[in-house]
Parts: sequence; structure tokens; C-alpha cells
Amino acid sequence: MRDPVNPSVESPDYPPELARLPPGRHGLPREFVAHNQRERLIAGLAEAVAENGYAGTTIAHITRHAAVSRRTFYEHFASKDECFVAAYETVMSQLHQRVDAAFNEEEEWPQAIRAGIGAMLEFLVAEPHLARLSMVEALVAGPVVVERYDAAIQGLVPYFEEGRKGRSAEVLAGLSPTTEEALVGGMVSLVSRRIFADHTEELESLLPDLVEFALTPYLGSAEAAKIARQN
Amino acid sequence: MASNSTTRPLPGRQPLSREFITQHQRARIVKGLALEVSEKGYRAVTVADIVKRAGIARNTFYENFSSKEECFLAAQNYAMSAALDRVVEAAGEIDQWPQRVEAGLAAFLDYVTEEPALARTCMVEALAAGPESVKCYEESLQAFVSLFRLGRDVSPHGRELPDTLEEALIGGVFWILYQRLLLGETESVGDLVPELVEFALTPYLGAQGARKVALDQPPSLEDGGGR
Repeated sequence: MRDPVNPSVESPDYPPELARLPPGRHGLPREFVAHNQRERLIAGLAEAVAENGYAGTTIAHITRHAAVSRRTFYEHFASKDECFVAAYETVMSQLHQRVDAAFNEEEEWPQAIRAGIGAMLEFLVAEPHLARLSMVEALVAGPVVVERYDAAIQGLVPYFEEGRKGRSAEVLAGLSPTTEEALVGGMVSLVSRRIFADHTEELESLLPDLVEFALTPYLGSAEAAKIARQN
Repeated sequence: MASNSTTRPLPGRQPLSREFITQHQRARIVKGLALEVSEKGYRAVTVADIVKRAGIARNTFYENFSSKEECFLAAQNYAMSAALDRVVEAAGEIDQWPQRVEAGLAAFLDYVTEEPALARTCMVEALAAGPESVKCYEESLQAFVSLFRLGRDVSPHGRELPDTLEEALIGGVFWILYQRLLLGETESVGDLVPELVEFALTPYLGAQGARKVALDQPPSLEDGGGR
């Protein structure tokens, strides 16, 4: 999705909906400007948070990055927290779409898991600021965001639960009600630690490890390792 | 009254040492903070809240800690090392690795049940309390990594296991506990021991081997670990 007004403008650092409106007079409809201001503020917040951490970010930082006035900020958001929630939602819906599309493209469940994890890592590596915002700073940004963060992670559980379908009674006996939760939590923890330590670029090399980890309870470690190491 | 002799020095006796008083005060403050943050969340808690909860003077707080942040770090470290002490004590008594993991996890879960506020401080609120706290949190996970990693020696395919396995397993266990702490469901976390043991041992021993340990059947590593 490119900027409908300016198809040549595409920010390399942000998903299209976070791209900025080029500066200057543009004579755009009021509603579009308002919408775009909101997106600029969201992008501004992501930059400011990457620079200062959530706690250290002020509304002045956000408006400076977004190149809008303080008044404009308050026309869109009541507080820094509210702006963060909007940014978080934007990032997560992007991430969710990518993962979902990759997962659904594969016929076989193990390959679908691999594709979904791959899509997640790819997104995070391509967008290190957004990775930090969604996986590290979200936890600092107050109870509302923490609740959404938890829900987003729990939202990954069904992808794994699909792996139970058609397994033998013996395999199923080895799975507990919390297996999927623990798998998802373990994967997220591996990923967040790399982002926290500013080693986001390492994430893509984690793919085989994560896939093997995720598939082992369902397929046994030999088969899981085989699929994880496939090219 | 008898209780007076234990809480207050009798006239003419040695007064309590300065060090003793300081330690006692710090422990009270730390526990006060833990109760406050586990009820209100890290961000919302003020020094005034902690002072009130601990039943001490504001000055006393600042004699011990320079800020809420510093006090939180002390509480987090206190809680995590108390929990880890339990793990080490429980696991250290056992020779067989699978049972050591089981004993260690059980001891850790017991701590969560007994000290929900402190557990929540070091496992939930720590993630919201800024980079220094997150760093300490991550360091504390390392203690478990080394306990789990010993499993590679008893696993028939220990050398082929991915390098990050232990990190992921511990992350998974902590995530389950994080959820329970967040929901305040700490009374029954002990019930999770078998499934967490099974989850943690499966990559090393295979599903069957892990299940046997989790169900307290004698371990037999000859199962081949599923590989």
C-alpha cells in the first residue's frame, strides 16, 4: 500500500501506514490531513521511543519527530500512553497480517509454522524500531498496553494448537494444556532478549532453532530438526 | 511482657546493632514495595505508598534508598535470589538430572505460592521497571540455563540440540508463571509441576521419557529420547 497521493514516497523505515507526508503545502482534504497527522504522530512516537525509551520520551520529542504542533498532538491523543497504544496496535496488526498470510500459504502444518515464524522474524529485522516498540517498550508502557501485549502473545497459541490435529494418541498424551502457551512464551522470550540487547539483526539466524523448538513436542526432536534445517 | 524482650532491648542490655536495624528496615521497605507494586503496578506506586505500607518514616526510606527505582531493584534482587536459593537447595540434593530439574521447578513454584508479591515483583513488574531491571531479570534466568544445560550430558542426542534450547525452555516456563501471577492465580501453581517438567524434559529425553519423570515413574534413559 503506497501513499495514495504521492506514490513515489515510501519510507524505508516504516510500514506504509506509518510513512510520512512530505512537508510543504499540499492542498489535501482536511480529513486526509487529519488522518495523516495521526500517522505521523505514531511514526514520531516510534522514533522518539527508539531514541529515548518509553519512560524518557516526552510529548515534545514526539511532536518534534512528527513535525506537528503540540496542539495537533492533543487533537489526536489525550496522552503519551494513548499515542503509544495506537502505535502498538498499528505495529501488531501489521505483524499479525504478515504472519497469518505466511502461515496460510503453506499446506502442511510444520511448514506453515516455519513460514509464520520466518515472517515474524523478517518483519522485526526490517523494522528494528518497531520491534523494540512492540516487544520491549510495550511492557513499560502501562497496564493497558501490557494487557494487549499479553493478548497478542496468547493470540499465537491457535497456530500451534493446529499441530495437535491428526497426531497419535501417544503424541497427544505428551502434550499438556499449557504446551502451546509455553512454546509461544519461550519463543517470544528468545526474540525479545535479542531486541532488548540491540541485536535485532541476529533474529533471522534464530529461525532453525525456533522451528525445532516449536515442532519438537508434536513431531519428536529428530523430525523437528529435519524440518527446521531444511533449506 | 515476654514479647518486649524480643523486640526491644531491655534497659541496661546492649542495644540492637545499627546493622541489624538497617537490615530489618530494608527488609520491611522491600516487602512494602513488593505488596504495593503487585497491587498497583510498578508505574503507579510512589515512595509515599511504600513508606505507608512499610510503616516507616519517609526519612528512613531515604536513608536506605535514593529512589523508588533503587528500592525496586533491591526488591527484585532480593526476591529472585531468595527463589534461586530454594532452587539450588532443592536441586542440589539430587543426583539424577531429570529429578533435579523437577525438584528445582517444584521449589521455584513453591516460592511463587508462598511469596506471591515478591514473585510478582521479580517476574512481572521487573519487565516494566526499566532497562536495569530487565537486565537483572535476564541475568537471573541464566541460573536456570546452567541447570537445564546439564541435560545435554544425559540426552542421547545432547550434542545436536540447538544452542538456544535452554533459553527458550526457561522463557516458556517463566511465561506460564507470568500469566498466573498476572491473574493472581498463585495458590495452585504447584499443580503445574508435572506439565512444566514434561515440557522442559521432552527435548532431552523424548516425550515418553519426559512423561515418565513427570509422572514419577523410574527414569529410563534407554528410551532413546525419540531420536
